Amino acid sequence: MLSIELVTGISLLYIALLFLVAYYADKKKEQGHSIISNPHIYSLSIAVYATSWTFFGSVGRAATTGPDFLLIYLGPSLTAVSWWFLLRKIVRISKENNITSIADFISSRYGKSQWLGAIITVIAILGIMPYIALQLKVVSTTFAMITGNRGIHLLFHEGVSLASPHPGLFAALSLAIFSIVFGARRLVSSERHEGLVAAIAVESIVKLIAFLIVGVFVTYYLFDGFADIFSRLAAKDPTLYLHLTTLGGPGKVSYMSWFNIFFMSVGAIMLLPRQFHIMVIENSNEEHIKAAMWWFPAYMFLINLFVLPIALGGVLLSGSSSDADYFVLTLPLSSGHHWLALLAFLGGFSAAAGMVIVESLAISTMFLNHLVMPVIVKLKPREWFPILLINLKRFGIFLVIFLGYLYFRIVGETYMLMNMGLISFAAAAQFGPALLGGLYWHRGNKAGAITGLILGFLIWFYTLLLPSFIKSGWWQTGLLESGPFGIDFLKPTELFGLTGFDIWSNSIFWSMFFNIGAYLACSIILSQSDPEKEQVRKFVDIFETEREEVPWETKRLSKPVTIMQFVNLMEKFIGAAQAHIAIAEYLGEREIDEKGGVSEFELPQLKRFTEKTLAGSLGAAASGAIVESFLSDLGSKMEPVFDIFSTVRAELSESREALSVRFRASILMNRTIDLSIIMKELLDLLRNEFKFDLAIIRLKQNNGLLITESYSGTEIPAILEREILPDINSFIGDAYLSNKPRFINDTRHITKPESKDLMEREGIRSFAHIPITREGESPLGILSVFSRSIIGLFTPPLIDLLSSLSGQLAQAVRIDTEMVEKERERQQKEQALLENTRVAREMEIARQIQHSLLPAAPPELPWVKFAARCVSATQVGGDYFDFFRRGDDLVDIIIADVSGHSVGAALIMVEARSFLRAKVHSTGSAGKMLATLNELLYEDLTRAELFISMFYVKYNAERRLLTYANAGHNRPFLYRHRDGFCMELDAEGLILGVKREVTFEEKSIQLQRGDLLLLYTDGITEARNASGDFFGTDRLCALIGEVYNEQPEQVVETILGEVTAFTSSQIAEDDISMVVMKVL
Amino acid sequence: MGHRIITRVMRYLNLKETWVILFILGFIMLNFPFIHVFSTPGRIFGIPALFLYLFLGWMISICIIYLFVKAIDHVDKDKGEQS
Repeated sequence: MLSIELVTGISLLYIALLFLVAYYADKKKEQGHSIISNPHIYSLSIAVYATSWTFFGSVGRAATTGPDFLLIYLGPSLTAVSWWFLLRKIVRISKENNITSIADFISSRYGKSQWLGAIITVIAILGIMPYIALQLKVVSTTFAMITGNRGIHLLFHEGVSLASPHPGLFAALSLAIFSIVFGARRLVSSERHEGLVAAIAVESIVKLIAFLIVGVFVTYYLFDGFADIFSRLAAKDPTLYLHLTTLGGPGKVSYMSWFNIFFMSVGAIMLLPRQFHIMVIENSNEEHIKAAMWWFPAYMFLINLFVLPIALGGVLLSGSSSDADYFVLTLPLSSGHHWLALLAFLGGFSAAAGMVIVESLAISTMFLNHLVMPVIVKLKPREWFPILLINLKRFGIFLVIFLGYLYFRIVGETYMLMNMGLISFAAAAQFGPALLGGLYWHRGNKAGAITGLILGFLIWFYTLLLPSFIKSGWWQTGLLESGPFGIDFLKPTELFGLTGFDIWSNSIFWSMFFNIGAYLACSIILSQSDPEKEQVRKFVDIFETEREEVPWETKRLSKPVTIMQFVNLMEKFIGAAQAHIAIAEYLGEREIDEKGGVSEFELPQLKRFTEKTLAGSLGAAASGAIVESFLSDLGSKMEPVFDIFSTVRAELSESREALSVRFRASILMNRTIDLSIIMKELLDLLRNEFKFDLAIIRLKQNNGLLITESYSGTEIPAILEREILPDINSFIGDAYLSNKPRFINDTRHITKPESKDLMEREGIRSFAHIPITREGESPLGILSVFSRSIIGLFTPPLIDLLSSLSGQLAQAVRIDTEMVEKERERQQKEQALLENTRVAREMEIARQIQHSLLPAAPPELPWVKFAARCVSATQVGGDYFDFFRRGDDLVDIIIADVSGHSVGAALIMVEARSFLRAKVHSTGSAGKMLATLNELLYEDLTRAELFISMFYVKYNAERRLLTYANAGHNRPFLYRHRDGFCMELDAEGLILGVKREVTFEEKSIQLQRGDLLLLYTDGITEARNASGDFFGTDRLCALIGEVYNEQPEQVVETILGEVTAFTSSQIAEDDISMVVMKVL
Repeated sequence: MGHRIITRVMRYLNLKETWVILFILGFIMLNFPFIHVFSTPGRIFGIPALFLYLFLGWMISICIIYLFVKAIDHVDKDKGEQS
């Protein structure tokens, strides 16, 4: 025996060491170096699974029942295989949703149900009672064994007589204080407790080493190895040996029971609240799961390696299996190795303390969040709430441990350790269906989970917990032996007449049957509510939704709430400092508008963030309720956005409806190019599709005003007839100037008073203005839509859709404008063409008239022959020639050229011709004739700013005498047949129309037979070829020399042909006229 | 050659189906009738057959899980290299 002082002292030292470790870990974390964030510490902390049940109870079981103790560890080892998928998924979901406990996890999955959370908490508190009792029993019993005392009063000063309390009370108290210090210093439950985890890891090492040392001591010191122990037992007591090493058959572990314990163990590692806490909540990195998957089974393997040798060794040494639960302690003790016994005691204490701390922490979190919070949220938040909450949590820890203590007092001595533990395992197994179904089955619903859990719990209570009370003599045994009211059929341990099962198999079979059955049935028959559906996506599809999140909100806040209001709310529950840290983190990555608020679409996210932050301390169900009641106090609530697109699915970026509207819009825009039809049909389409009361298209006019071009729906003159000059003070102007859609989802919250009045008067609840614009261009107008019935109509996808349709409309407007422009141009051209044609026809007539004014054929005279030709470049020209025959032998020949080719020139020419015709018979000589003509035409020519050059010839055919005068005309060529050369005829004289009185020189020349005279206008000599050379007088002269022998008609043809050839493709620039006279 | 086989095995091990099969296999091998085979009084190396079976199987399963975990890392690394 060791002295109480020594054992207490060593224990306190050990506890101090743990505190030191925890303190160090917390300090390190504050400095930013987490010492626990590594896979080995994580694996060791999961080994909190190995409690004093493992440390002592396994040996007890192995010594009494046999191999089934191993199942408690084989099951979890097998479960570890699934962790990479199962545990990782749970961890991911919990991190994303700030989950605080298994109750929080399951209730969150089923629509954040407060009822579900409360039910799970009650099951956990009652279910874990035997488990806590087991730990208290071990600690108090081993303490008594090692010190040789059964009472705790000796701890106090000798001679002072105090009532002797139950030995477990001291253990319960110390463990409770221990737990509070480690786990409940702060409120945030989703935050990891670094110090706690570090201490748990150290405890895991201590209990493993302690057990291995005791195991090696028993196996190799007291005995001669494994084989020795087995063979000695087989020799000493073959029946017991057979009993402990084989299965099946009378008196041995049945296969049914084997399967059942295995089944419970497989689930327990995930479902026990403390395992969930340490594996999920305290997980710092998903990658750590990988290492834990084989580290944890390896740990379980090692700690079980020596269980059988110790158990059988104990049986061999003590001669019986009684008190086998404590062989680990009693073997070293009875063989006189007290220090070894102390080590075993510390190992057992470690195992118990670790379990109690984590379990009570996990359950007190559930207690606070799911039993206390639903009451608290009904109250108005107050400043002292954080203090109240943390103390309630501490109270929760006490409650859990003292319930365990109570159970220990009642049942403690009746059951062996493992049997007590199995009762808790059976309770934890009830969470299985709801948890697994919630993770992988979309249809699983709240009703199913609640019904299943309640039924499972009731059966567990009736078939396991109640009998444990009865067996300990706490209640009448009649119920157990003959069933309630003597109904055999309802006997708790043989429920519904199921005999031949052990009590755990019986309980598990029926509770699971009803639990799973109810869960499946209700889930299939009943439907999920909306909040549930939302959660299902977050849970079941956690790995999928990562990629394909719905890109926009489906909820909106009916009345905007500011950031500060949310912060104030958070302060009341988690304290100012934490609230500010949280909001700073949140806002760090977001845009805030000028008023310090966030956009309407951002608000639901802020609300969810607030919920999530609060959930970290209070659990999802409670925080949801708090935020909800906070909003309703402000007169705001979450409401679904009006679901225009009823078939919106997360995997489609755009709903079928939106696509269909787009499609139909593009059809109607392509069907016609008439803008007014397009506008009208588009508005009709929008109005019908989205239930707008009024839809308007306004286009910008040339004067800068936005004027209604088309509308569809209720006629509201106050809106329709507005002619808007865009300015920033109206929503429509704002939309136009900023070229961005502007919308109001609830007109009651408009800040612009003018708009507010109008909307109120006309009963408009929501509206939007979308600029009609093409990418990168300034808007052409505004598409406005109004609704009188629906608040919250405008969602990002709807705005996107309207914007895109406006873009198409802009295209149509642009095309229309261009077409109008083109049409006008075309008409102008047509008009001009028409005009031209008319003028051309007139001109043609004029030309014909002009030509008809020229002599149709030259006169016939003896001894002379004429030929004449006029080729005009344009319709009318200024060239003119004429013959006036005076008697048999006399003829006057005139060639003239009015400057320019205009109609004016033609008219002057006509005028000149008239004068000539009038004067030719009265006036005498050629010079006189020109002078008279000059005088007559001077006024007209000056006024018209025109001139006339003219050559006037009088020829006497009989005498062959040529008399001529020149008014600035080209000098005609005379080819002298006799001399064989070309001469020019010239006489002094000014061009007509320059001076009023001019004297013209008159010259005469005697012609001879064969002479050829060519009168011509400058159209011949000034004809140009492609390279710009003139035809020129030399070329003409040479040409005459070649052709003078020909008939005059032939000469004309040749000259014309040459000139045309010379100019080749060039269009004649000037009229060409010539008169050829040949003397015969 | 050896590397290719390892890569291939690693790829199989990384399939979710393989994990499920392993889990189910473990469940079956730890229950009736499998353990009935080993539930004999005989001893191998002085150790009862049932315990030897359970502990050896346990050890092997830990090794297999270890390989699995390596396979996850392996494929992760492969993906990293490819991308």
